[in-house]
Amino acid sequence: MSDIFFELSLRSVKLNFLRSLLASIGIVIGVVAISSMGMLGTNMQLSVKDQLSANVNTIMLTSDVVKIGTGVNASSTSIDQSELNDIKSAAGQNEVVPIHHTSSQFTIGDTNGRGTIYGLDPTDVPKFLTIAEGENVRGSDALVGATIASNFNLVPGSTIKIGANCATITRPVLRVAGILAARGIAADGVNVDNGMVVDDTWYTNHFGNLNEYDQVNVILQDVDTINQTEATIDAKVNRNADIIRISDASSRLSTITSTLGTITTFIMAIGGISLVVAAVSIFNVMMMSVKERVQEIGILLSIGTEKGEVRRMFLYEAIILGLIGAVVGGICSFVIGYSVVNAMIGTTSYFFRPESLIYIPYGMVIGVVVCVVSGLYPAWMASNMDPIDALRSE
Amino acid sequence: MSTPPLIQLIDVSKVYHLESGDFTALDHVSLEINENEFVAIMGPSGSGKSTMMNQLGILDVPSTGKLIIDGRDVAGMSSLERTHMRRDIIGYIFQKFYLIPLLSAYENVEYPLILKYKRRDASGKARAMLEAVGIDQDMSHHRPNQLSGGQQQRVAVARALVNDPKILLCDEPTGNLDRKTGFQIMEILCGLHRDGKTVIIVTHDPVISEYAHRVIRLEDGRVVES
Repeated sequence: MSDIFFELSLRSVKLNFLRSLLASIGIVIGVVAISSMGMLGTNMQLSVKDQLSANVNTIMLTSDVVKIGTGVNASSTSIDQSELNDIKSAAGQNEVVPIHHTSSQFTIGDTNGRGTIYGLDPTDVPKFLTIAEGENVRGSDALVGATIASNFNLVPGSTIKIGANCATITRPVLRVAGILAARGIAADGVNVDNGMVVDDTWYTNHFGNLNEYDQVNVILQDVDTINQTEATIDAKVNRNADIIRISDASSRLSTITSTLGTITTFIMAIGGISLVVAAVSIFNVMMMSVKERVQEIGILLSIGTEKGEVRRMFLYEAIILGLIGAVVGGICSFVIGYSVVNAMIGTTSYFFRPESLIYIPYGMVIGVVVCVVSGLYPAWMASNMDPIDALRSE
Repeated sequence: MSTPPLIQLIDVSKVYHLESGDFTALDHVSLEINENEFVAIMGPSGSGKSTMMNQLGILDVPSTGKLIIDGRDVAGMSSLERTHMRRDIIGYIFQKFYLIPLLSAYENVEYPLILKYKRRDASGKARAMLEAVGIDQDMSHHRPNQLSGGQQQRVAVARALVNDPKILLCDEPTGNLDRKTGFQIMEILCGLHRDGKTVIIVTHDPVISEYAHRVIRLEDGRVVES
């Protein structure tokens, strides 16, 4: 061993092994709290991001104003045919998908329910939806979302009555043509898991709004052109006034991930409180170590040890305590973090990603730094003792 | 022209400010100690022996007056310079040995070398010094609490000598030893004096003071015999 001061610190820690170990347990708990909370938050972010990023190549266009008109539909918040044509011309080669949607009651068997009904041109369906079972819509067919299908035990061929359950009116009936794959939180605004998709002709026949669209999605061939395409569309449709709201999945994604990031930081800060407690116990142990070794410090100082060397000796002791805590804490974080992520998120497929595992070294470094900071004052106190007084103490 | 004295106290006073009032531990003391002297500082308890020892050992600075050691004025030095003076010029031997409990006998002797050269000793000087005071290789691996009083004081002597200091400052070096062991330690100190070291012993034991060539007697902080 080369450094005598490190050797002295190590021997002091060994001499008071139990006390040192107990102090380090505080650091272990702190490191585990910070790293596993950080990993949990990151895993949450990664899993949400993966669900959303499936649709990041989509620009969502919705009407931003209430149009005043005459007749039955005196006012509406929709995109009309001329605006759609503007969008199509501005979107160039990219796919433009006009979408109708409304919320409606329905009855399956004897059970009533409510969900969103999307009206789409059947040729647009494969552009962004996946049919898990059955086939595409035609006529009075419907594609049902994965959640509805499983809740109501729907299979291709089942029937659904649309509209409020009222004895006096014959309600239109849809036949289930297929079942859509689960989408989770759909970043393109088409949340079909709890809804269904029908042919747009059937939709306008029953709900009206012919050539009036609730939403238009532009599916980009190249996601990197998103800003440029949005600008082109904006210049075209909003040339006189802002009438179309343009949004995309990436801005929603960043809102959600930044929210989750804030939550992660917050829960890590709560975990950090345990490190404050640990800091107090390390401080206590270091002060005890200094008080017990006053005479030894007196010897060291009187025979020519520099103050800086005495300080270094006690800081080494704090670092050793910190390293013990950090290493044990790091190992525990891995095990506990894995279990927590598995229990809370239900999957550990993101656990081994670098951005998740990085919280283990983060936590460890914070643990050691907390120890060193706690050791600063005791080390300073030791190095500034008067050698005569220190030698005299028993 | 004769060589200047190794240690020079010019009108040195040390006053402690206590709650009960000021206490003068050294009262206008002037004296000189030359190189290769063997000096005993004697006096009853409370006479200022310990204060004198702390001044000569550069552990403290005078309240007034000048203390010049090896040609340098101690009062004008920084704390770090005084630390380096203690390390390089003075070897301390204490009544209670004051070995570092966590280090082995060998490491205790090696320690001043590490302080001076900032690295572990590879020259074998520490080992040679231990052998010179009669501590064999086996014993050198023992911690201080595994050694007898005499053995500990031998290790302390080896530690004091390892950086080849000009001054050996001994505070009651035989006070915690039986007469025979004390005698052996005094023999070692006499040998060191013969080899050219300046030896200063603070003691109240007249038998010990007989080894010295000069006795400085203190009473109430003043020099009454020099």
